[in-house]
Amino acid sequence: MYHLHRRRVYSLCLRMTANTAAAEDLTQEAFLQLFRKISTFRGEAAFSTWLHRMAVNVVLMQLRKKGLPIVPLEDTIETEEETPRKELGGVDSVLSGSIDRLQLNRAIEALPPGYKTIFVLHDVEGYEHNEIAEIVGCSIGNSKSQLHKARLKMRELLKTSRAAKASKP
Amino acid sequence: MTCAEFEAVLPEMLEGEVKQEQQEHLRFCSSCFDLLSDLSLIAREARSLQSDVEPGPRVWSSVEIALRQEGLIHDPQPQMQKARRPLLWRPAWALSFGAVFLVAIAGLLYERGTGSPEVAGLGIIKPAASNATVPDDYSPDDIEVLQDVGSRTPAMLADYKANLRKVNSYVRDAEQWVRSNPSDEVAQQSLINAYEQRAVVYQMALDRSQP
Repeated sequence: MYHLHRRRVYSLCLRMTANTAAAEDLTQEAFLQLFRKISTFRGEAAFSTWLHRMAVNVVLMQLRKKGLPIVPLEDTIETEEETPRKELGGVDSVLSGSIDRLQLNRAIEALPPGYKTIFVLHDVEGYEHNEIAEIVGCSIGNSKSQLHKARLKMRELLKTSRAAKASKP
Repeated sequence: MTCAEFEAVLPEMLEGEVKQEQQEHLRFCSSCFDLLSDLSLIAREARSLQSDVEPGPRVWSSVEIALRQEGLIHDPQPQMQKARRPLLWRPAWALSFGAVFLVAIAGLLYERGTGSPEVAGLGIIKPAASNATVPDDYSPDDIEVLQDVGSRTPAMLADYKANLRKVNSYVRDAEQWVRSNPSDEVAQQSLINAYEQRAVVYQMALDRSQP
């Protein structure tokens, strides 16, 4: 069971923490919880979905302990701070066909935890919205909405990063 | 179609559902075209980040040790050969009683031979007759800890032998990794973690074996 699922769980934890030691600790904790609670699995979801839900909960709990703000996934009230700006026009409005991998990683790390969870699960790890909804405990519609906001935020972060890089001597 | 209307359906478009009027809007609106291109690019490039990383060996070692300590997993009990098992010992209660009896006799003989357990504990402890012989892949420190466990809580000996064997394997792997990559910080951290795991097993063995 561990050998089947370790890579995906670890990859998820690594994306969320950007730290190998922390990711290993969280992977360990996720599997410990799995083995302790395995008798409670009733088959209402796919086993991998159940496991990854546990991993996401472990990660989010850790982030809460560190006092990091977590955008509630069901929060549909947009504030000025949370809404990614949908900029139209401007000199650098296009990402121009390619994205520097390092900048992409940095932009993901800079995403708020709620957006990061959805973005990593869908666009990086390839989960479908119905799986994400099971894993994080939200509706499918909310998963789609949060993903869209996450991508808009990514675009904003990448453009800011490019502008900063271009302005350096 | 306005830009606001276009943006409202953008998530569906990114999932692959592009309607005629949306395509028409893209033909005449460069801003929305750029927005769609950028978001598609971000989604596409993000998939290339899916990595094939694996957690280090210490993760499973730690999980396994914790589960053993919690009693959630056990080593399979060695099967006694039927030909060597006398009829009298077949019932499980008779086997347990016999083992306890042998340990008690061995303990009495040991105490008479070497004085008080406290004095014996300062030097190398001669293993009691009921203790299984310790294989060669344990260090002298391991042997000392296991002998201590074996003399005080023989029921725990098998578990601690298994734990130490696994932790030692993890330490050997981590040492090999550092030898091959001496400047690799991840390898160094893995070695530190391995030593810490072994220290935890020692501490637990000593705590449990205290009277």
